[in-house]
Amino acid sequence: MTDRTTPDASATAGYVVDPDLVATIRDLLTASAPTPRDPEAGIAFDAALWDKLDALGLARLTTPEDDGGSGATWHESAALLTEMAAAAVSLPVAEHDLLAGWLLRAAGLPVDNRRRTIGLVEWDDEGRPVARAVPSARHADAVVLVSAGDGGRVVADVALSELEITEGLNLAGEPRDDVRLEPSALTGPVVADDVAHELFHRAGLVRAIQVAGALERCLSLTLEHTTTRVQFGRPISRFQAVQHLLADIAAETSLARAAVDAAVRAAAARDAGEADGASLAFLVAVARSCAGHAASVVVRQAHQLHGAIGTTLEHDLHRFTLAALAWRSEYGSTQTWDRRVAELATTAGTAGLWGLITR
Amino acid sequence: MTTLLPPPLAETPALARLRADVRAFLDEQIAAGVFTPDVDTWLNGFHPDFTRSLAERGWLGMTIPAEYGGHGRSFLERFVVTEELLAAGAPVAAHWIADRQAAPSLLKYGTEEQKQRYLPRITAGELFWAIGMSEPDSGSDLASVRTRGERVEGGWRLTGTKVWTSGAHHAHAFFALARTAPLDPQHRHAGLSQFIVELDSPGVEIRPIRSMNGAHHFNEVHLEGVFVPDELVIGTIGDGWAQVTSELSYERSGPERFLSTYRLLAALAGRGLGDAETGAYVARLAGLHQMSSAVAGALEHHQDVSSAAAVVKVLGTALEGDVADLADRLTEDDPGDPELRALVARAVFHRPGFTLRGGTSEVLRGVIARELGLR
Repeated sequence: MTDRTTPDASATAGYVVDPDLVATIRDLLTASAPTPRDPEAGIAFDAALWDKLDALGLARLTTPEDDGGSGATWHESAALLTEMAAAAVSLPVAEHDLLAGWLLRAAGLPVDNRRRTIGLVEWDDEGRPVARAVPSARHADAVVLVSAGDGGRVVADVALSELEITEGLNLAGEPRDDVRLEPSALTGPVVADDVAHELFHRAGLVRAIQVAGALERCLSLTLEHTTTRVQFGRPISRFQAVQHLLADIAAETSLARAAVDAAVRAAAARDAGEADGASLAFLVAVARSCAGHAASVVVRQAHQLHGAIGTTLEHDLHRFTLAALAWRSEYGSTQTWDRRVAELATTAGTAGLWGLITR
Repeated sequence: MTTLLPPPLAETPALARLRADVRAFLDEQIAAGVFTPDVDTWLNGFHPDFTRSLAERGWLGMTIPAEYGGHGRSFLERFVVTEELLAAGAPVAAHWIADRQAAPSLLKYGTEEQKQRYLPRITAGELFWAIGMSEPDSGSDLASVRTRGERVEGGWRLTGTKVWTSGAHHAHAFFALARTAPLDPQHRHAGLSQFIVELDSPGVEIRPIRSMNGAHHFNEVHLEGVFVPDELVIGTIGDGWAQVTSELSYERSGPERFLSTYRLLAALAGRGLGDAETGAYVARLAGLHQMSSAVAGALEHHQDVSSAAAVVKVLGTALEGDVADLADRLTEDDPGDPELRALVARAVFHRPGFTLRGGTSEVLRGVIARELGLR
């Protein structure tokens, strides 16, 4: 078995995240993980850990250094998000940096160190702007909102004090708050529709990265459990039926990882100005589809192999299975992304599909 | 964190150019009517003229060093070429086994004389190879082979029967796995050896086994006291298990383990059939392309790819079959699209073999379980 973070100098065109960075992240998270979760109140906000991440430059990894960030890439950010997901540490780092920070820059708005998240605005029955299921809005200083509808989108950087928050939680207990504001507060520069589409792809990719990290932890927890749980006089991992379920978990997890890594490469290339948005759009849809379907297999088999203890609050498994299920249903359902792949494939046509897959 | 995957790779511009060259050539060949894209052509598409035209372009024997007539190119370059051939549904069965596993086995275990004797002709697309592993009573349990090699003056005499030998009726040679020492139940993998058997040797009898659609690619190859001279022993007497395992890793690790029904999936997608289900399969195939490319990169660096290859093969061959089944559920025998329906029928015929050949999915899950430390 290989360690993903082992540098491979011979990898011709592979990108290797600095192992020291990964070690730093692991050390930091190990001390805090998992973030406490109450079944009713949800996951607590670990402000102390946020401050530590921020002090180390990890809260704004991909923000350019000129704007006070670390000037890193999607690769480093994906490593951070993977480690967080695998440690059940829940903080809106991706929303703050990869999404809100990026959107502010795309809209030409000033960036500072206030904690931000993003919301996609629609209009409720009374014609009021509302952004639903905004990640961690209640813990943010400001929410960067982008309006729906084609023909140019308004981007508004709105302080929490101007927002009416209705608290909610996702399946994993992460804050997902509805945010309402006065129509007059939704003011700011107008960006092209493509910016909003790209924001959606970036958000979709963030969740795919997190799903892959959670599934990898499901695999290691299940390996640990089945090799130590003794029934019929031997560890249950000795039974072939159990081995085959574990093999399926490992295979699906690997596929999700491969698809996610490819999309992360495309996102890094996009941010470096080396690729257009079309390649990213396809690879994100592929990653979301693969990760979404992998979650079905991994969650089912991981719980099956853990037995009843895996369904309890005292066991950690649910922190990863519920998170994987919650994340695969945010920014588009798995079926939404399956359909997106199908549409892009049909547009490419029978003769052009292979070019789309290998571009 | 545990992973079975080698590190991911981004395709270099040079590889992308090679892809484009192969793709342009294949488009020309299709336009000229040299072949019609089909499913499962790496096992069923026997077309020696096409094989020779690939050889003329340097796309056979790519990883064989120049001193043996090869092109000295990388496994990644070979991967790109083979992926393009499979995605085009090109008829590559004639040379497939020679190029995929005979050449690397000869390079790894062959004598200088054996390399000089076979590798230049493999690269030229003139010498075809088959597989001599399975027997009537030895499928997944390969160590139980009963073909025996008996020491005689100047060589060995082989007696036994090999089966499921695809393309033996076209092939010039295979590596026969035979028992050269009595079975020791405590050390089942000991006492096995591999021999190069030229299939026109006296005592070789090749009988067709017809598939359920009437096609003939399988054979039974009976060896009745076939004499193999010492110079055609491959590797070391008694090391056959290690050698055949190495050969299997080449057999299992390639993109033919997820692309056998690619033409059918592309036909569904191009026609807008199947909605989300087709999209999910396209996504899986795109993910497998990424994994398989990482496997090729690891082969380049002589890393052990057996478990990563097993993952690709378990997922990929299931996908190949699922695509055939989805297409069958989406289409009917109406005259509207006879071309598609014919493609579906061929895929459905071949489907049961996808998850059997080259090691069953059950055996491969065992390989993965071993890598996970469970065995």
